[in-house]
Amino acid sequence: MENIRLLLVDDEEDFRNIIARRLKKRGLSAEQAGNGEECLAMLEKNQADVVILDVKMPGMDGLEVLHHIKKKYQKTEVILLTAHSSTPDGVEGIKAGAFDYLTKPVELEHLLEKIKQAYEKIQRLEDKEKEAEFREKMEQQMIVTERLASLGTLATGVAHEINNPLAIIKEATGWMELLLKKEELAEMPRKADFEKGLGKIEKSVERARRITHQLLDFVQKHDSALSEINLEELVEESVRLINREVVNKDIEIVRKTKPSAGNIWTDPYRLRQVLINLLNNAIHATSPGGKITISSSVLSHFQAPACLRSQASPAREQRKNNSTEAVELRVEDTGQGIPKENLKKIFEPFFSTKSPGKGTGLGLFVSQGIINKLGGNIEVESEVGKGTVFCITLPRYHKTEEEPEKNSRPDFWKKLGL
Amino acid sequence: MIKIPTKILVVDDEKDFVEMLSLRLNETGEKVTPAYSGKECLDLLEKDNIDVVILDIKMPGMDGIEVLKEIKKRFPLIEVIMLTGHGTTETAVEGMKLGAFDYLLKPADFDDLSEKLEGARKKKDEQEERIRKAEAKLLSRKTGGVF
Repeated sequence: MENIRLLLVDDEEDFRNIIARRLKKRGLSAEQAGNGEECLAMLEKNQADVVILDVKMPGMDGLEVLHHIKKKYQKTEVILLTAHSSTPDGVEGIKAGAFDYLTKPVELEHLLEKIKQAYEKIQRLEDKEKEAEFREKMEQQMIVTERLASLGTLATGVAHEINNPLAIIKEATGWMELLLKKEELAEMPRKADFEKGLGKIEKSVERARRITHQLLDFVQKHDSALSEINLEELVEESVRLINREVVNKDIEIVRKTKPSAGNIWTDPYRLRQVLINLLNNAIHATSPGGKITISSSVLSHFQAPACLRSQASPAREQRKNNSTEAVELRVEDTGQGIPKENLKKIFEPFFSTKSPGKGTGLGLFVSQGIINKLGGNIEVESEVGKGTVFCITLPRYHKTEEEPEKNSRPDFWKKLGL
Repeated sequence: MIKIPTKILVVDDEKDFVEMLSLRLNETGEKVTPAYSGKECLDLLEKDNIDVVILDIKMPGMDGIEVLKEIKKRFPLIEVIMLTGHGTTETAVEGMKLGAFDYLLKPADFDDLSEKLEGARKKKDEQEERIRKAEAKLLSRKTGGVF
């Protein structure tokens, strides 16, 4: 209530001063305007929450000012001050959108009460707006999640079905390569061409196999491998595994893990897989001389992680884990950053900005799948030219959820008769 | 040096795969018999002398695990290498607990396969060698150590 923005409009300066002084005593400071034009000019510069507006003023009268205010600043509430004899003005004012009217001489308690009510109305509207905004965000997020899930089901179905023909191509190629090595074919014309062709087939099968295996990683069950792990050690271990690339590229890795992050109950292999994936991405995006920072911290249950604050929902967090605590892992790089138009797509399967054959476009997709299954969230923030932050939040204790459809063959394939 | 061929039974419902893998293994000097179902596999084991079975887990009808159990019950000396789809490591572990020698993910790396085949063959040979020695001991005891 103290930081409410008040504007007092009346042509009688003495009256304004008295009211302003009295309001001040009660902890409310009010701006002052001597006529309608001045009022509108002041609103132009600084919006007000509540305008206390005298109706009877020379020049532009209160009702006219009210029309202007309501047209331009829908959120601003107006309390009209009318002369004792002109109640119709007040009624007309309310019809035109005023919050209420008071008759002069004004009783300060009444005025205060009205200001308070008007302010409460503003806050109610703001809350409603925020809620609607939040709900919309959640709905959008749901749509994205569902879309990713169905894409995942489809993609893993494809992967399963493709593995068999891949195995056949692979064996056939290997067999032909063996034949070419036989003595009877030692003098075969253009033998090198055949060998070159077979080599390409073999390499491409290997590439396809990497894709199918990564996709199948996405649906892999992991509930059997939950254990208690020390977060600091996990980070240490992951960094060790990628250290060679870091040294080769002259990138500094900074660890800001706090021992207080302590132990968490999760799947160490899967979490390490995600960390390594994020680190590899960071290394790839960062130029020599750059820096990658890994930090961990503890989050109390209701506090949304800093990087999610804009869209975090306590309700959702609560639903996801009934425990009291969560931990946060951040991987921050000083790399090239991700353009805004790509930011939404990076968790989609097969989205990649690397050249063909270099990346499968599945790393983040799989990582997100893993983190979600571990009861957590993964979010990204990025600025082109400055760097990227990936932020993982995980419950300290992950309870295994029921996963009814794990490796089951999707209906889609049955429908196709495959 | 002449290689003693390992007698391998490849079991998979995917006919082309069996054919190609057989051709390739034959070319490296092994002796491969194809089978396209669990039942056929068991029938063939009854007739033929086999060292190692390469067994696909995912087959219609009798699946790989059932076949494995049956093999280990009826032909305990025959070694089994399982071929599993990715993401079914649990099945592979289950299979190894049931007595399979090892497992490979499909599509398998040929060098890995060769290595595992050799290991399986070696294990079977050694086991048979021990049995022979034990039998010899038993025989010499029965005959009163006359030899």
